[in-house]
Amino acid sequence: MNPNKKAQIRLNETIAVLFIFFVLILFGIIFYYQYQKIAIKEKQEELLASRAMETTLKTLFMPELVCTKGEAQAEDNCLDVIKLNAADETFQKHLGDYYFELFSFANITVQELYPHPENIYYLYNKEKTTVLENGMILPAWSQKESTYFVVSLKNEINPAGQSQYGYGYLKVEVYS
Amino acid sequence: MKRIKLPKLGKKAQMEIIGLVVIVILIALGMLFMAKFALKEDPQKKIFTRKGLAYSSLSAVLKTTITDTECSTDFAQLVHPQMGKDLLEDCAKYYAYSPDGYSLYRCQSVLDQEKKHSCIFVNETITRLLTDSLGAWNKNYEFKAWLVKVSEEKPLLLVGPIKSGKGCTKKDRDSSGIFPIHTDVGLIETELVLCD
Repeated sequence: MNPNKKAQIRLNETIAVLFIFFVLILFGIIFYYQYQKIAIKEKQEELLASRAMETTLKTLFMPELVCTKGEAQAEDNCLDVIKLNAADETFQKHLGDYYFELFSFANITVQELYPHPENIYYLYNKEKTTVLENGMILPAWSQKESTYFVVSLKNEINPAGQSQYGYGYLKVEVYS
Repeated sequence: MKRIKLPKLGKKAQMEIIGLVVIVILIALGMLFMAKFALKEDPQKKIFTRKGLAYSSLSAVLKTTITDTECSTDFAQLVHPQMGKDLLEDCAKYYAYSPDGYSLYRCQSVLDQEKKHSCIFVNETITRLLTDSLGAWNKNYEFKAWLVKVSEEKPLLLVGPIKSGKGCTKKDRDSSGIFPIHTDVGLIETELVLCD
């Protein structure tokens, strides 16, 4: 065979191998990029879920809401109905200077299921919003995570004069 | 200096070995990636939340006070029996007379407003509370209450199993832990299991 032709075939071979090699590298880069994209999204969701959990725990142990027995230890997983009735006003009053630092952008409510399922206590509501040029307010959050936790609702104001426990749940929604 | 020339066959073998090394490296990288995906552990936080939710749900159910003040005519004053220590205890005491016989507490059912035996009442009320909370959030659960007597080897099932869907299998589940209630007739044990 003509040595020039042989060299040409070798050169073509090398080019083909290099081409395949770069195609493989490109596939690898695309795969890694997609994986990272999903991983970052998952991490964001995990962080938001973690924040929702932290907010729930903070709310459950707040002296402003938790059930007490005089000077004894606070009761576990229990919210005082009298405190819940007053909480909305207190939380609104000190939203900017205290509670926003605790809960950030979140919505916290307590729903009673027994004995009065119609009772809903709105504790804290600060949604991430944006104001348009025409004055319209729109939600500005991209993700929302909801957490539910079952609680006892202690009511000490009743005709029988003894503590009564209702059944309800705490709903915490956090925005990012 | 004299240059040593490798025979043609040796050079070819060397090239092939390099190719093999590259393939081995690529396979090793692929396996590392696979291991990273496969060994991804379940988030601990999720398990903690489920366990906490099971505990708080059972604790709240047992603490709940019944609003029907005329649950019992045997008392001189109005009564507010608690689901755990009053009604479950009563159910254990008068289980033999269930469902239509005598029980100290006969509260108005949440379903049909009829006065019912404590065992039936507890069963119906717990079913409703759990359906409205855990069931509404698409959680699978299983609740049971049983009586352990010193004289009997086998525990007696008082309430349940109250479950959503098929309940929980032995895998991937979290228990509230057993809540014991000491009574005259024996030890009542309650447990709520949550699973996804």
